Amino acid sequence: MNTPVLSTNALTKRYGRHTALAEATLDIPAGRIVGLVGPNGAGKSTLLALAAGLIRPTSGRIEVLGRTPAADAAQLADVGFVAQDTPVYAGLTVGDHLKLGEHLNPTWDAAFADGRVRQLGLDLGRKAGRLSGGQKAQLALTIAAAKRPKLLIFDEPVAALDPLARRAFLQNLMEFVAELDVSVILSSHLIGDVERVCDHLVVLAESRVQVAGDIDDLTAAHHRLVGPRGTLDALPDGVQVIAADHTDRQTTLIVHNTTGRPFEHPGADTIGLEDMVLTYLHRAEGLTAPTLEETRA
Amino acid sequence: MIWLTWRQMRAQTLWSAGIIAAAAAYLLYLGADIRDAYRLNITDCTTGCDDAVHTLADQFGSGLLLIGLFLLAAPALIGAFWAAPLITRELETGTHRLVWNQSVTRTRWLAVKLVIVGGVSVLFTGALSLLLTWAAGPFDKVVDSRFEPLTFAARDLAPFGYALLAFTLGLVVGVLARKTLVAMAVTLLVFVVFQLLMANVLRPQFAEPVTETIGWDDANTVGHIDSFGIGPQGAGIQEYQIPGAWVVSDYIVVYKGDGTEFTEADLKTCEAQGGTPDDCLIALDATFDVTYQPADRYWDFQWIEFGVAAGLAAVLAGVAFWRIPRGLS
Repeated sequence: MNTPVLSTNALTKRYGRHTALAEATLDIPAGRIVGLVGPNGAGKSTLLALAAGLIRPTSGRIEVLGRTPAADAAQLADVGFVAQDTPVYAGLTVGDHLKLGEHLNPTWDAAFADGRVRQLGLDLGRKAGRLSGGQKAQLALTIAAAKRPKLLIFDEPVAALDPLARRAFLQNLMEFVAELDVSVILSSHLIGDVERVCDHLVVLAESRVQVAGDIDDLTAAHHRLVGPRGTLDALPDGVQVIAADHTDRQTTLIVHNTTGRPFEHPGADTIGLEDMVLTYLHRAEGLTAPTLEETRA
Repeated sequence: MIWLTWRQMRAQTLWSAGIIAAAAAYLLYLGADIRDAYRLNITDCTTGCDDAVHTLADQFGSGLLLIGLFLLAAPALIGAFWAAPLITRELETGTHRLVWNQSVTRTRWLAVKLVIVGGVSVLFTGALSLLLTWAAGPFDKVVDSRFEPLTFAARDLAPFGYALLAFTLGLVVGVLARKTLVAMAVTLLVFVVFQLLMANVLRPQFAEPVTETIGWDDANTVGHIDSFGIGPQGAGIQEYQIPGAWVVSDYIVVYKGDGTEFTEADLKTCEAQGGTPDDCLIALDATFDVTYQPADRYWDFQWIEFGVAAGLAAVLAGVAFWRIPRGLS
C-alpha cells in the first residue's frame, strides 16, 4: 500500500489554446478519502478524467496506483470511476447494468452488487432512464464499487442531487469505504461535503493546484495573524503569506506554515477549512478575501 | 463485452433482420419466377426466340434494377444508422465514461463492436448480394451486361466490400464528428460520393482496356451496333455492345480501308450504285476501333473492387483504433 494512488508531475492538459489543467504536481498516498475542491471550470473534471484514463495529458506525467491510467484491463479493474452526472444506459434496466458490470469486470462482486441494489430498493426490471437522479447516482456508484477497485474516483457525484439524496449518497459512500478498504478521490464545489467525508484535500483553481495535503495537517499549518500595521512584515522562513488585508492601523494575514515545526506567533489563530479553501480560491482569482473576518471572527 | 454489444444492438438487429428476411423471401420468389420464365421463353423456345430474350429483359429488368438500387443503398444506410451512432450515441449520453471504465480496454471494446456489429452488417449485405446474384442469374445470362454500373456493384463480391467500407466510414465519421445527426449525414454523403467515384473514375482504371480494330463485316458478330449515324461530320457508332464486356468508347469513328474517315459522300456514291449501307461499308473495307474491358475480366474487377473498398475500410478502422484510446472527451 505504499504506492501513491495518484502521482502527477507537471501534468498539463490543453484543449487548443485553452489550458484546462496546468503543471499539476501531486502525490496522494493510499488509504485516503481525497476531496478535490475548486470552482466550476477549475480543472477538476479534467484532472479526474486524466486519472481515469479517459483522456491523455498534453504534457507531464500521471500515474494511478503506479501505472499509466487505462493502460490495460488490469489497471482499469483497479480503478472505479463515476463520471459527472453519473451516466447510465437509459435503455437498459438496472438488472442489465449489473450484468454489464459482471460481464465486463473479472473482479465483479455479484453478492455485493445485488445486496446494494436490494438495500437501495432499486427494481431490477426498471429502465435506468426512468430512475431518479439519486437512484442513478446510486446505481453508478454500485457498478463502480462492485468491481472491487483499489481506487474509486467520483466527479461531482452529488452536484445534481437534492440535499436529501446528497446526504444519502455520501452516507452510502462512507459505508462503501469502510466495507471495501478503498481509496477515494471525489471532486466537489461544496466544501461542507468535503469536510464531512474527506481526510485529504486538493484545492484546484484557475487550472492550477493551489494547495494539497491531509486536512488535519493543512488546518494545523494555516493561521490567521492579526497585528498593528507594520508588525507582521518579518515572518520566519517557510511561512508563506496566502492573503494580506490591511486597514489603516491593522494588518490581517493568512499564512501557511510549511516548515513542519509548530508556528508560535503572538496573535496567531487557527482558521477553519472553509476559510482556508476560500482564501486560496480568492488568491487564485487575484482577489483578497475581505469577508473572512466579518463572517468568521 | 460480447453480451453488452449484443444487448445494445438487439433491437436494431432484429428489425433489420426482418427487412432482410422479407427481401430474401422476395428474392427467392423472384428467382423461381425468373427461372420459370427462362425455361418457358428460352429453354423451351421454338419460334421467335430473339423476342423472348427481350421479353425476359423487359419483364424483370426494372424489378431487378430496383432491388439492385436497394442493395447499393443498404451499406450506406447501415453506415449511417448503425455505424455512425455507435460511438456518437455513447458520447452524447455520456455513457462512454461508464463503459470505458470497466475492466475492458477501449481497444478491445472497439474491436468487439467492429467485429460483431460490422460483421452483422457485412453478413446482411452479403447475403442479399448472393441471393440477388442467384435470383438474377438467368436474367444476367440473357442480358449479358454484368459490367453495367448498377449491376456490377450489386452482384457477387462488390457489396461485401461496400458494407465493410460504409461501416468503418460511419464509425470514423462518428468519432470525428461526435454528433449523431452530423455523422449520419456526412456518412451518407461521403459514401454516395464514393460509390459514384468508384463507378465513374476508379473502376474504369482497374486494368488497361483493350483496343481492337473491327472490320464492318464482323461488326455484328463480335458485338452489336446499337445506333449508327452518318452526317456531314462523318460516320460514327453511337453505342457498340460486346456481350459481357464493358465497352469504354462511347462514340466510335468509322474509317475506310485507306485510313480516312467514312463520310456522307462515300455513302451517297455507293448508294447510287444500288447497294445497302452495310454493303457499301463492307465494300470500302470500313473498320472501327473499340476500346473495352473484356468479359473475362469480370471476376478480376470484382476482386479489385472488393479489395479497394476493404483496403479503405482497413485504413479507416486503423484511424478508429488509433483515435479512440487517445480519448474523445
